[in-house]
Amino acid sequence: MKEDDDRVLVRQCRQGDRAACEQLVVRYQKPVFNAALRMLRNVEDARDVAQTTFLKAFEHLADYDATRKFYSWLYRIAVNESLNALGSRKPFEAISGDEPDETPGPERLVESEQLRGAIEEALMQIKPELRTVIVLRHVLHLSYQDMGDILTLPEKTVKSRLYEARQLLRDSLLQCGAT
Amino acid sequence: MTDSGQLALINAEIDGELDAVKRAELARALLSDPQARALRDDLRRLCQTLDALEPVEPPAGLRQSILAALPQQTRKFRGFVFGSGAATAAWRQAAMLAGVLISGALLFELVRSPAPEPTEVVGTIALAPAATLIDTVQLNGPVSGRLSLYRDRAMLALQFEVSASTPVEVQVASEGHVLQIGGLGLGGPGGDNAAGSRPAVPLPGVPMHGQSVDVTFLSGGHPIGGASLRAPRGP
Repeated sequence: MKEDDDRVLVRQCRQGDRAACEQLVVRYQKPVFNAALRMLRNVEDARDVAQTTFLKAFEHLADYDATRKFYSWLYRIAVNESLNALGSRKPFEAISGDEPDETPGPERLVESEQLRGAIEEALMQIKPELRTVIVLRHVLHLSYQDMGDILTLPEKTVKSRLYEARQLLRDSLLQCGAT
Repeated sequence: MTDSGQLALINAEIDGELDAVKRAELARALLSDPQARALRDDLRRLCQTLDALEPVEPPAGLRQSILAALPQQTRKFRGFVFGSGAATAAWRQAAMLAGVLISGALLFELVRSPAPEPTEVVGTIALAPAATLIDTVQLNGPVSGRLSLYRDRAMLALQFEVSASTPVEVQVASEGHVLQIGGLGLGGPGGDNAAGSRPAVPLPGVPMHGQSVDVTFLSGGHPIGGASLRAPRGP
């Protein structure tokens, strides 16, 4: 089981086994990088966040509670680092219902590539905490329980945030004619 | 208008969390409400597209850069000191015994001397053309000139354009990291770096949290000058 493997690797890593640390990096660099990329939409920033995430994780490995899932702990660091990185950018502009309607007439964006691009664009327009739940659910494919663990929120709150995020994305895509 | 109850049912259906009773309830709602049907179709399509977003391969050097940064942080890893990673079983047994002794000795040292020992950094780099100037400070006194903090790729680097009347050593401290920088040749005969190659020194392991990066110039072990620069907060 992957979680058991993680525990073994973490234990070895704590004991100073560099190869075990490398295994953890190999195992999780892709999801961590992709989560950061969807949060930040910038490859260089995502790379920095991924690197910082692993370095912080290894630095604080003694604080990790081995009864919990390692990836939840790691992803929590990644989310926090991504939010920190976003915090250092210019102020966020939220989607509001008062935005002018810029629907491009009858022609609709039906190409899946365009839809993906539109979704990525729309993702960057919703609040970071809403973007976070989308990333955890649809990029990292986590359960509500894991999401609640990472965000330290009850599952009910996680669900309501996710529903709100999906609805905002859908509204945004409708506005640009991408659904 | 779709109410929150319907929205929850639609989302739960998308997430595969509806039981038969709730499924029937949703089916009735969808039959009688075209808006709810449109919402369900849109959200389902949205979620399918989100789930199908292709993962991007991380940059080729990411793993190496993480691993390369680890040894320099060893002192900060509580209970975490790197070994070879390829020890034999016998070596492991011996290492366990030694570990107990070393841990005791380390604990004693930590209690006796809580200040982190500096990590020796030797060697300069040429800054990349894309290196970003983060902070700079003008120095006056026994050590004069300009000291600049750059972000070069994923690391911080200090550029020294300074001169000193006597040979000096440099110590950099930031968030528990203490780096002893050697080999700069600052001060003394021929030790003027105010012009020429302008060496930059990488600061491995120093984070970017908006914290201060404190530079101290030492002569004969005594501080004769210094400056505090500010690291960037994130990228």
